[in-house]
Amino acid sequence: MSRSVSRRLVAVATAVGLVALSACGSGFEDSSDSGSAQADGQTGEVRVLVNVTTNLTKEFWREVVKPFEDAHPGVTVKIEPGTPSVKEALPRLLAAGDAPDVVETLNADKTLAPQMLDLSDQPWVKDTPLVDEAEVDGKTYSVGVGVQAQNLVFYNKDAFAKAGISKAPTTLDEFEAALGKVKDAGYLPLRTAGGGWATGTQFAELADATVFSRNPDWYADVLAKKTTPGQSYLPILERYKSWIDKGYLDKNALGLDEKTAPAHFFQGKSAMYVMGSWFVATADAGKPSFPVGVFAAPPATGDSASAPMGVSVAMPYMVTKNTGKKELAVELVKYLTTDKAAIQKQLRQDGNFRKGVADGLSPLGAEVQALLEAAPKQVPHPEGLGSVRLPAGFNTELNKQVQSLYTGKSPADVAAGIDSWTASH
Amino acid sequence: MKALKLGFMGVVAVLMLVPMYLLVVNAFKAQQDILTNPFSLSPDLLTTEYLVMALSNPDFDIVKGYAVTILFVVLVNALSILLACPVSYVISRRARRPYRLLLLLFVAGTFIPSQVLLIPVVYTLKFLGLMNSIPGFVLFETALTLPFSVFLYSGYISTIPRSLDEAATIDGAGVHRTFWSVIFPLMRPVVATMVILNTFSVWNDFANPQILLGPSSGLYTITTGIYAAVGQYSTDYTVVFPTLLLAAAPPLIAFVLLQRYIIGGLSTGAVKG
Amino acid sequence: MTRNLLSVRTGPAAGAGPVRRPGRTFPSRRGIATRARLATASMVLPALALFVVMIVIPVGLSVYLSLTDWDGYSADPGFVGLGNYFRLFRVSEVLTAAVTTLIIAGAGTVLLNALGLGFAMLVHRKSRLNSTFRAVLFYPHVLSALVVGFLWSALLGTTGVVNTFVTEAGGEVLPFLSDPTWARTTLIGVIVWFGFGVNLVLYIAGLQTVPQDLVEAAQIDGASRWQTFRHLTLPSLAPVVTVNIVLSLVTLLKTYDIVVSLTGGGPAGSTQTAAYLILSDSFGNSALGFGSAQSVVLMVVTGLLALTVSRLRAGADEAVAK
Repeated sequence: MSRSVSRRLVAVATAVGLVALSACGSGFEDSSDSGSAQADGQTGEVRVLVNVTTNLTKEFWREVVKPFEDAHPGVTVKIEPGTPSVKEALPRLLAAGDAPDVVETLNADKTLAPQMLDLSDQPWVKDTPLVDEAEVDGKTYSVGVGVQAQNLVFYNKDAFAKAGISKAPTTLDEFEAALGKVKDAGYLPLRTAGGGWATGTQFAELADATVFSRNPDWYADVLAKKTTPGQSYLPILERYKSWIDKGYLDKNALGLDEKTAPAHFFQGKSAMYVMGSWFVATADAGKPSFPVGVFAAPPATGDSASAPMGVSVAMPYMVTKNTGKKELAVELVKYLTTDKAAIQKQLRQDGNFRKGVADGLSPLGAEVQALLEAAPKQVPHPEGLGSVRLPAGFNTELNKQVQSLYTGKSPADVAAGIDSWTASH
Repeated sequence: MKALKLGFMGVVAVLMLVPMYLLVVNAFKAQQDILTNPFSLSPDLLTTEYLVMALSNPDFDIVKGYAVTILFVVLVNALSILLACPVSYVISRRARRPYRLLLLLFVAGTFIPSQVLLIPVVYTLKFLGLMNSIPGFVLFETALTLPFSVFLYSGYISTIPRSLDEAATIDGAGVHRTFWSVIFPLMRPVVATMVILNTFSVWNDFANPQILLGPSSGLYTITTGIYAAVGQYSTDYTVVFPTLLLAAAPPLIAFVLLQRYIIGGLSTGAVKG
Repeated sequence: MTRNLLSVRTGPAAGAGPVRRPGRTFPSRRGIATRARLATASMVLPALALFVVMIVIPVGLSVYLSLTDWDGYSADPGFVGLGNYFRLFRVSEVLTAAVTTLIIAGAGTVLLNALGLGFAMLVHRKSRLNSTFRAVLFYPHVLSALVVGFLWSALLGTTGVVNTFVTEAGGEVLPFLSDPTWARTTLIGVIVWFGFGVNLVLYIAGLQTVPQDLVEAAQIDGASRWQTFRHLTLPSLAPVVTVNIVLSLVTLLKTYDIVVSLTGGGPAGSTQTAAYLILSDSFGNSALGFGSAQSVVLMVVTGLLALTVSRLRAGADEAVAK
């Protein structure tokens, strides 16, 4: 390399360095700018961290906040999808000092509450669903739009007819018999999937009918160490394992993505799909080739009519404590959880419910609402809610533990695994 | 024997290239056709519809992703050369103990997995006010290149005769001038190797930009953009294949064009143990 | 090894020394010493400062955080002593991840080097065909690991391209990513497909330094190919082998991107690597202290393994130097 070339190289490198420095200056200003609290909080950008799913696309979220932006000139609502999920993104953003102003999807727990704005003094929060159950130490941090029914089994009516099942099962034994019959009729009885949550969620939705029937205060008792989750789940884990062995569940299910699994069901390959009420919206959009029915997950003792229904808050919102846009963020959450049009839009998109806001339900949605209203009791699920809540990460762990039934672990080992995790967290 | 070798190489080449073939042809097919006829090249299955859709994805502007990634590659390489070369020169020209320790310190850095640093670095950058900013990210990425660069450079410089420095010094050149105008030009092969290595590592980095450049920075690289675009639709292959193809094509084309220099450049400097 | 090459190159540059400036006044001896020291400092300090701020301090911070139960954002971390380290051995997830990481690092290092060296022997001679073949073996490395993982998961997933093909043809679904053993094997396979080109290039570069006249002489003397390789080629490659092994080991111990995009850590957490668990525990589970303890252990293990390999190989390396 000749000297002139090298000199030119150095010159280029220096120039690039200068660009870097100037970029440095502007970047720094940017970050300090967005970090500074705006006292009036009336204009500018509000960042909302949302859960993006097959039902809840980014376009959907933009539509939901559009009327709010129109009503507040100078305000933009920035929709930020949590990657890979809100649950994983939020702690990272809090740690990085890059927290959004509003967080969707998560309910406050003891760890998150200190980072969130206390909304107890806002008068409108009193009328939102499950608001008392969601309190942490007597204070309201998260406010929801509706209620999700969790313990539901969706089924292919054609498959049931073909298998000669005339009445939806109401006990776990009837359910198991139905699994056998639809298998004989040529269907995969139960569709499940691998991935980060579906396996465990479906298991809990089935198992909790039994667990809650036996003990409606189960979460409180687990927290008080009167019982352990693994031991409570063990009988259902044993049944579940036998279903895998009998081919009622696909032994290769773990390779299937939770987003593909519904498509399998809609194609008519499997007879039943355990999922929460948001599956109503998935089913309505998925255009299955057969009529879809739904029944409440049946308990092992007693029958469906006596089993409490697991419920969760649909689209809970929190405002972060250190937001620079406090008033605007609170205003936005108020709009999202109390404006009738906004509520309807959100409920319909994800198949959820709220007392007094019933219009726009699909026939399947109406069936689910009937099941929800018929349930003798509603128990917040999964993981619990507010102060009555299992350690954070329990669902993820349950998911892994249930998956390990597919990979050769025995139900007793899985139960022990769940308990040892719970004990060490 | 020769035919056997050729046959074997042919089979291996096919194995290596099949995934790329599948990526390319399936970027032009509908979901059902991808699943039922993955290998088919039949013209009536092919459409550019999905590629156009991927190109106009509002959440992942691929051109912006490229611009940002290229900017990072250039800045990190330039800064890395500016910082690592002089220090390596000093280290390899001084026999005294502090400098030997300095080399040891840098070399120890090569054994630290970057993910281990990532979490505490979030707090370091936050303290410096550089979190979610280009300078913060570039400085960290540059720091990650230092250990191996210093190791390679100082080894290389020690093979350059000292008489060159001495001649320059007698001529009245200061240390800086001696280094940049006499020694640095001779380091071209090893610097080229390091530039190639650093380009790969910055280009392909995922964990660091994912965490250090949060949503408020408004920045994404090719990898973090892909993760956001593909991660949520991992089984909609009409999104997956076209997006991956758009991400893979430019570096592949560059590689095909520059392969002699890239492979050659990697080997020249790298053998220097 | 490039020493002789280099001396050829340095020839002309040596002649083109800096321009002499006549009439320059020389400063005092002390002035020279101070200026030289300043100049040296200005060459060392920027790099050192960056290294300290971005690497040394974070490592220290990691060690400190590993002794706390910090969640990552609350006001003050509670000191828990070595509690997090004891917990490492009780959490089965951590143990599984450790096993997975060691399997990947072990099997991966062997395969990367065996294939790298094997193909290097096959194609190290200069020819058009060989250089094309090299490019074909190397190209996956140009794609990022993330892209490669997504690509293979689209190909090998339960409803992926290959399995749909297989089931349409009447076969059973192959559990590439849904059975723990298969998934780990697939992961290692993809890592090797992605990375052995780099080892190949390094080995080819090493082979250029094996004295060809000796090889030819040995063959004339009737030595078999294997004997030539075993007693001549391999010993003179020793330093390159060491570099390759250490490099593969260090890289594989921090496997992360490909896990994210290929398996997401599943099924049942069987493909979670140490790096994957560290990043998901630290922020995802708001367990920064526990994640930091894992970090510190990974760092120590990586350092120790790399040092051990270098030590073990020191004998072979020195034999070449002589």
